[in-house]
Amino acid sequence: MLAETIKHPVEHLFPYSVPPEEYSPGMVTWYNSVCGMCPAGCGISVRTREGRAKKIEGNPLHPVNQGRLCALGQAGLQSLYNPDRLTAPMQRQGERGSDEFVQTTWEEGLSAVAQRLEMADRHSDSVVLLSQGVRGHFANLLELFMRELGSSRLLHYDFAHPHSLHAANKKLFGEDQLPYYDIANSRYLLSFGADYLNNWLSPVHHSLGFGHSRQGDDSARGRFVQIEPKMSISGAAADEWIPARPGTEGILALGIANRIVEGGYTGGDAEDWSAALTAYSLTRVAEQTGVPAETIARLAEEFTHAEPGLAIGGGAAGNHTNGVDTLVAVNALNYLVGNIGKPGGVVFNPAPMSSRSAIDRPSSRHANHQAMQDLAENARQGGVMVLIVNNANPVFTLPQSTGFKEALDSIPLIVSLSSFMDETTALADVVLPSHTYLESWGDDMPQPGVGFSVGSVSQPVVSPLYNTRATGDIILGLAAKLGFREAIPWASMEDFLKDGWREIYARRSPASDDFDSFWRDVLRSGVLGENVRRESTAAVDKRVIDGIGVAEPEFSGTNDDYPFILHPYMATSMYDGRGANLPWMQELPDPMTSIVYGSWIEMNPVTATEMGVTDGDLIRVTSEQGSIEVPLVTFPAIMPDVVAMPIGQGHDDFGRYARGRGSNPIQILAPTMDPESGSLATSATRVSLVTTGKRAEPAKTGGVARQLGRNIVQFTDGSSEAAGHSTKVNGIPIVVEPA
Amino acid sequence: MARFAAGWRKYRKPGYYDEFDYAWTMSIDLDRCTGCGACVTACQAENNIPIVGEKGIRNGREMQWMRVERYWEGEYPNAKLSFIPMLCQHCDTAPCETVCPVSATYHNQDGLNVQVYNRCIGTRSCAVYCPYEVRYFNYNDHHWPKPLDQQLNPDVSVREKGVMEKCTFCVQRIRQAKDHAKDDGRRRVVDGEMQPACVQTCPAEALVFGDRNDANSKVSRSMNDPRAYHVLEELNTSPSVVYLKKVDADAG
Amino acid sequence: MPADEQSLQFSDVNDDVVRSLVETGRNYYIALGVAIFVTLACFFFPWFYQLRYGIAAAGNNHPAVWGTYLASFIFWIGLSHSGTLLSCVLHITNSEWRKAMYRSAEAMTLFSLLVAATMVMVHVGRPWFIHWAAPYPNQMELWPNFRSPLLFDVMAITTYLTGSLIFIYMGSIPDFAAVRDRTTGWRHHMYVLLSLGWRGTDTEWHRLGWAYTFLAVLIIPLAVSVHSIVSWDFAMSIVPGLHQTIFAPYFVVGAIYSGTAGIVTVMFVLRKYMGFEHYITKLHFDNLGKLLIVLSLIWTYINVLELFTGWYSGTSTEYEQLKYKLFGFYAPLYWEMILFCSAVPLLMLSRRIRTSFFPMLLISIAVNIGMYTERFLIVATTQVRQYLPDRWGTYVPSLVEISIIVGSLAMFTTLFLLFVKIFPSVSIYEIKETMDAPKKGKSEWQATH
Repeated sequence: MLAETIKHPVEHLFPYSVPPEEYSPGMVTWYNSVCGMCPAGCGISVRTREGRAKKIEGNPLHPVNQGRLCALGQAGLQSLYNPDRLTAPMQRQGERGSDEFVQTTWEEGLSAVAQRLEMADRHSDSVVLLSQGVRGHFANLLELFMRELGSSRLLHYDFAHPHSLHAANKKLFGEDQLPYYDIANSRYLLSFGADYLNNWLSPVHHSLGFGHSRQGDDSARGRFVQIEPKMSISGAAADEWIPARPGTEGILALGIANRIVEGGYTGGDAEDWSAALTAYSLTRVAEQTGVPAETIARLAEEFTHAEPGLAIGGGAAGNHTNGVDTLVAVNALNYLVGNIGKPGGVVFNPAPMSSRSAIDRPSSRHANHQAMQDLAENARQGGVMVLIVNNANPVFTLPQSTGFKEALDSIPLIVSLSSFMDETTALADVVLPSHTYLESWGDDMPQPGVGFSVGSVSQPVVSPLYNTRATGDIILGLAAKLGFREAIPWASMEDFLKDGWREIYARRSPASDDFDSFWRDVLRSGVLGENVRRESTAAVDKRVIDGIGVAEPEFSGTNDDYPFILHPYMATSMYDGRGANLPWMQELPDPMTSIVYGSWIEMNPVTATEMGVTDGDLIRVTSEQGSIEVPLVTFPAIMPDVVAMPIGQGHDDFGRYARGRGSNPIQILAPTMDPESGSLATSATRVSLVTTGKRAEPAKTGGVARQLGRNIVQFTDGSSEAAGHSTKVNGIPIVVEPA
Repeated sequence: MARFAAGWRKYRKPGYYDEFDYAWTMSIDLDRCTGCGACVTACQAENNIPIVGEKGIRNGREMQWMRVERYWEGEYPNAKLSFIPMLCQHCDTAPCETVCPVSATYHNQDGLNVQVYNRCIGTRSCAVYCPYEVRYFNYNDHHWPKPLDQQLNPDVSVREKGVMEKCTFCVQRIRQAKDHAKDDGRRRVVDGEMQPACVQTCPAEALVFGDRNDANSKVSRSMNDPRAYHVLEELNTSPSVVYLKKVDADAG
Repeated sequence: MPADEQSLQFSDVNDDVVRSLVETGRNYYIALGVAIFVTLACFFFPWFYQLRYGIAAAGNNHPAVWGTYLASFIFWIGLSHSGTLLSCVLHITNSEWRKAMYRSAEAMTLFSLLVAATMVMVHVGRPWFIHWAAPYPNQMELWPNFRSPLLFDVMAITTYLTGSLIFIYMGSIPDFAAVRDRTTGWRHHMYVLLSLGWRGTDTEWHRLGWAYTFLAVLIIPLAVSVHSIVSWDFAMSIVPGLHQTIFAPYFVVGAIYSGTAGIVTVMFVLRKYMGFEHYITKLHFDNLGKLLIVLSLIWTYINVLELFTGWYSGTSTEYEQLKYKLFGFYAPLYWEMILFCSAVPLLMLSRRIRTSFFPMLLISIAVNIGMYTERFLIVATTQVRQYLPDRWGTYVPSLVEISIIVGSLAMFTTLFLLFVKIFPSVSIYEIKETMDAPKKGKSEWQATH
């Protein structure tokens, strides 16, 4: 599974002339690896035959996903075998953005980049490496490389990185990390906007937890409450969906916290809490959030007496101008019911396995929106000589107001390491395409992890399809060309990885000397877990308590001109847009609306009637930053003055399946940020909606979404031990005697 | 006369079998299902299901052997949404089996409703007769732009136009499991040894698959759950898919 | 007795019929040419396109897997009912007025069945394997599935086709003989073969009469069962709106209704363009009109019954069906059907209308349009509103389908046009039975030969 070849081996029925030892036609070989489709880091087992990857399953041994896998993970095969993969290094020929590239060799490509890097002044920080969020040893390699290059500007950039959650944890608990939320053992989950079943942090693990909490324990069934302005699939799965005014979720949390403190919280710092929360009375909170006072009181009651209760926050609630404070409030709830470090609660993770990598990239490493704006500004002022982009697509995932695309004009050299011609790569000067994750060596220490130390190894499952290289190998190649042999002596990513794991091995078994067996075992299982846990701090600094408070959310645009609040959300199949070039993902119906192959905007049916619009009308959505056109869909579970739109479509490039399809709501988002975390407040944009008079029916797989009394989905009130089960046939109950 | 009576009794049994070798059953827990659609994509990957394209979907020709249906109850702010995965129910008294003029669909000794692609002449009557509407017809030949065709599963046929297809409970996996069990000392397939792609991938563990002839299997336990029911039970199709009612704690 | 038959001689009958076979005007060739062209362009060409690209050429989708091809199939089978059935029933009841028209009516049956068979081939996804539906010994050691209503169809229609073919052929033997004696050249040879050496002896007449009546009695239950069986393609499903016991009588009545209307249309054409004014008279139209009214009333009754039972059942699925039929996407078609099949035929209560040729033509065409709509609605409205609302959809026939419908009509016309030049389209000997016997003495022909 090494090195590039000239012929495409997969074109032959039996792709090898000299096959590896373990290969035989008709025989199946499984390889364990790590999924690279989202940051959760689930373990995968890939079924291969005749040197081709056929099916991706979850790795049963991996503690994050335990043999299960989400739809996007399954679609990884279509990333590997995508017809629009970049097949060889390229150099730009025409104008930037003209899509005129000419193929070149690795030697030339690497030399061209190395030359420019050498020219860059060693300590001026004029070289920027903008990468998708990376963990594990590859992150170390990037750090090493940038250090040798003399630049401190290594930026990890993910649209969905939970900056506010990091900041909130740091603020309240002093932990700059993503904790593990033990949903499986929780019996009452209060989610403030976190779409934990869809794409928040680690959705497969959360789904496992959800399933277990629901029906995996005979003694009790978990109750789930979702608080958000538009129902997500987590909201659909919840027992109760509570629409609170957008951006006031934190106020609601503090209202509940106040009730908890009033209702007999016995911690030592009760007085401090009481003082801090006194302003969040039921009536005030009810007024600000729009949630009835009785409901707030009841939620507090239920949460306190749940055994145990867990509160999580994210999504729109975490991405607002008061996002950090909101998530602090949510975490405060956990603290007040004492679930920190306990089963069913918030568990902090131990340090990652490798001693080299930091616990997660420190917040400063992950580029928040402020950092991206600063980068754009700096670029415009000529402060960036070389920009290397690794699998990030800021031209798509940043709002137009950032001006990132225009800022790129001022950067003399842009290098992209992406596997696809996405919008950012289309503006590059040199393209050094990477292998996909299924062709690469790597490792991962998953965040938020599972409460104990986990390391997984990613290995290539097929020979490389094209004349691409593993990203690590590209960096090593550049390092070699730049003469960094001393600091970066490794010849290949595989060697680098193994060296890193040698250290892990040495730490575990200092007396032993059989790294090869250990390595083989790790590769076979795909994952290594260590029963190292972390004592979770259960103390909150008084100053923090005193400072607790959630301000009212701020929105861009006045209410009069822009009567609706735009709620963009990551579509199940698209994540942040990366799923758009995968036909399976385009064809996967949106769970809530069954729409495929396009964008849409959701509106409350009553509002739609008042506005005189109906499903399929093409609507112009305008914010202060710009406007897009998108078809309307009426949606029963959304607040009357909120409109929601999925993120992921609206690509200008990125292959035949993604190009020219739908609209990208990120474009028209206001540059409003949470001042504390610097993250983009994605739900702080107000918009106006005007019908264009044209029609644009979305493509749907579903028909009418009402049961009309046909008892297709049947309900029970949960009282177990029913004497028989009752079948209703057209309204006439027929009781079936147990056999 | 006795022989005739015996023959008649056998004729009246599903698939003409007195008993099934394995009685493959799936249970779907609606209280666990999150509607994520992982089962849909896993099935597409495993069974070479064609990518229809936007135009195909607009024409109503989607191909999803396993699909997730959605049903709303109530209105804002008390609207509730439920998901229900729907796939071939492998009915023991399947309406589709009786109507195929060339016997391209029949019940086999594992209790599966089998679709034989090379016998099908495409009258599409089985699709009309199926009350669950889980049968999908190949209206045209399908094309996988290279190199997406590298991903195709060699254990599953790629169907040509004019042929009906539907969920098979991943019969290729069942066949392999049975063969493996036989090679492994003539034993039976152990509960959990083999799972269809959808069951294997479901993140919420809502799908359970197994042999209901085995009283100790996980799926037998599901069948005895008081929440168990069949969809469209009143039609007497005797489906092999059991649904577990969704718990609506606030409902009466 | 037609008013102007007093001067009609036996020989005139022969003359007229033979002339219709032998003399071919320019109009005929133009009509035949157009019919063949439309058949090729509108039926075969789109069908071959569909064979190449799959049933995607039609407007079918999920859930509407059955479409106009099947509706056309039912329609043509329905149209086939009147010819032979009517002929047999009227033969047994010894009615006189059938004599002039039954030959063409039986021909209509035959060709409708043939066109219906081609519709099956167009409908099926892999027609090159359609022979698997026939029970022939094969290496696969497979019989077709006899439990399937579609296979009952195959058996019933094959039987009906065979029966009708024998019936019409047998009844035409004396006529072939009469024409044989009057024609020369290639026609003479053809009719020599076709008439099987008929000499017109008493024994032969006796045998013919007996065999004819025997077949007539046999064909009546056959015809009733054929369309019942065809209806069971639908009724044996559990689709709401299709799964109804009324379907068998509904379809049979509908078949006879549309078939009778078809006979009226054909009679009009024959009368006008083949010079059969003496033979096909107001009496025939009058009686056919009366039959049509009766059938229309029964048909209306059954439709009301369907609506009533749907409403009465109180089930969501049946209620939705009837709501959808009356007020849904296809509502305009539904009401058009009611107009053409229930309202317009009431005009025939007036004797004046019944005995006017052109209005009868219009009414009969309207009835058939309405009946085709009925078949289409049965197929279209029921599939798109089944048990699971998530699966509800819409079905709109594609251009290819519409073209094939037009093409099938052209194919039928082509076959019929060919028929009128080979078979005597009016039964010579039966007409003579309604006339006075000729006086003694030689006829003009006999005098000159």
